[in-house]
Amino acid sequence: MFFQQVINGLSVGGIYALMAVGYSLIYSLLNFTNFAHSITVTIGAFATFYFLAEVFQNIYAGILFAIVVAGILAMLIQILGYSVLLKKNAQRIYLLITGLGISTMCDNLVIIAFTSRFRVYPANFSTKAINVFGATVGTIDLIILAVSAVALIIVQLFIKKSRAGLAIRGASFSLETASIMGINTQKLILIVFLIAGALAGLAGALLGAKYTAYPALGSNMANKAFISSVVGGLGSITGAVIGALILGIGEVLISGYVSSAMRDIFSYTLLVIILFVKPSGLMGVDTGERA
Amino acid sequence: MLRVENLSFSYGKIQAVRNVSFEVKKGEIMAIIGSNGAGKSSLLKCVAGLLKPQTGKIYMEGEALEASAYKTVEKGVCLIPEGRWIFSNLTVEENLILGGYTSKTVAQGIERSYDMFPRLGERRNQRAGTLSGGEQQMLAIARGLMSNPKVLLLDEPSLGLAPLIVNDIMKIIQDANKAGVSVLLVEQNARKALKIAHHACVLKHGTIVKEGTGTELAQDESILSEYLGNVNKNKKDRLIINA
Repeated sequence: MFFQQVINGLSVGGIYALMAVGYSLIYSLLNFTNFAHSITVTIGAFATFYFLAEVFQNIYAGILFAIVVAGILAMLIQILGYSVLLKKNAQRIYLLITGLGISTMCDNLVIIAFTSRFRVYPANFSTKAINVFGATVGTIDLIILAVSAVALIIVQLFIKKSRAGLAIRGASFSLETASIMGINTQKLILIVFLIAGALAGLAGALLGAKYTAYPALGSNMANKAFISSVVGGLGSITGAVIGALILGIGEVLISGYVSSAMRDIFSYTLLVIILFVKPSGLMGVDTGERA
Repeated sequence: MLRVENLSFSYGKIQAVRNVSFEVKKGEIMAIIGSNGAGKSSLLKCVAGLLKPQTGKIYMEGEALEASAYKTVEKGVCLIPEGRWIFSNLTVEENLILGGYTSKTVAQGIERSYDMFPRLGERRNQRAGTLSGGEQQMLAIARGLMSNPKVLLLDEPSLGLAPLIVNDIMKIIQDANKAGVSVLLVEQNARKALKIAHHACVLKHGTIVKEGTGTELAQDESILSEYLGNVNKNKKDRLIINA
């Protein structure tokens, strides 16, 4: 029973991590929280649903489609929403407010476009349960866990080993310094939004598979991911993953052993405690004005 | 080679640079000296594309430069800013690699940097934030040279460094120049700058008030006393200027 809960918690935590890393990446580069992130999650789920319903009934193809769509959407949000403000070097709080506006607007547009019905994917992962060390574990949870882990490792390798990844790490220290190295920082910011969006699209597609696709999916889940990245330390990718896993496992264990009504109370209490004890988060560093 | 024409820049109502024109010729070291707030750094940031001048143009080898930092680097003009701006979260080597972001010869560039500054080679895997001030300035210069620039813009390279290390830094600038890089050097440390400059001008309240060769200006005590503090009165003041 316990083992089963932990696997379930890791799969939930894995999805949170996919979204939390997006928050952290953008925060580390631009020092603000991209509240429009949640819409890319919702669109990820709907893109998968419509791809499966209309085009081709293969869940993996659907997920790939969602990654592409959400990645493009995130870049559009940067180009249409934030880039103007960034060029004017606006205070970060205005970017944050813009993000909230985009998020609210898009949530409502999604309801208008797709109605608020819950939609079940016409094709999904196997619902069979398998036996691992005497515990029954859902195949879907194992797949979600594996897919999230692979995606996070790829992103981590990209950041640590590639030339663009080095530029991102440099730019996260100072965008202006990066620009006098000959780095096109506008392009770099776009790449970071693409990565964040692609991960969010993957998260949305997986959430749709585990639960269903519905308009509030993104904001419900991205809230948890935001808590994860604050708990782990905003701006730190490792921190975001650690925070997400703590939150995922914690939530599942609380709902399993205490009460599922306590699940959200646990998340927010954890957030409050961290903000009291270590405001910069588990792996965070404190510097300057941020929003 | 690098020509600035009628450049003006203001922060809101405060005018930092007024109608400045000059040219850095191929292969020379040109120095711009002036006291605090004379507009030296603003001028250099405009040239580097970090600030957008309200009026005026900057030409590199006859081509107008846009107010875009990364495009300026691509044209062969590289800024080593005041305060060095080292990526202190990255290692020494990663700093150099980023310096060579536009270069196709990164490996050779790193080798050349370590030949030039053996201390950096010893510390290649150390985080750059742990280096001393002098080492950070060396790293900043090495990183600037990584892009194989035609013109190097140096903003106060002597700032905050001990006199002996300042001499080292000036020697390095001369070496880079002898290797074929034109240099635009902005300095408060007038004596040191004029000693290595082929050609220099004095900036005051955002305008160029005097031009000449380095030696001419260095001998013109009135310039040193008028714009850079009094040199002849007593030893204490001389220390300030020489420091």
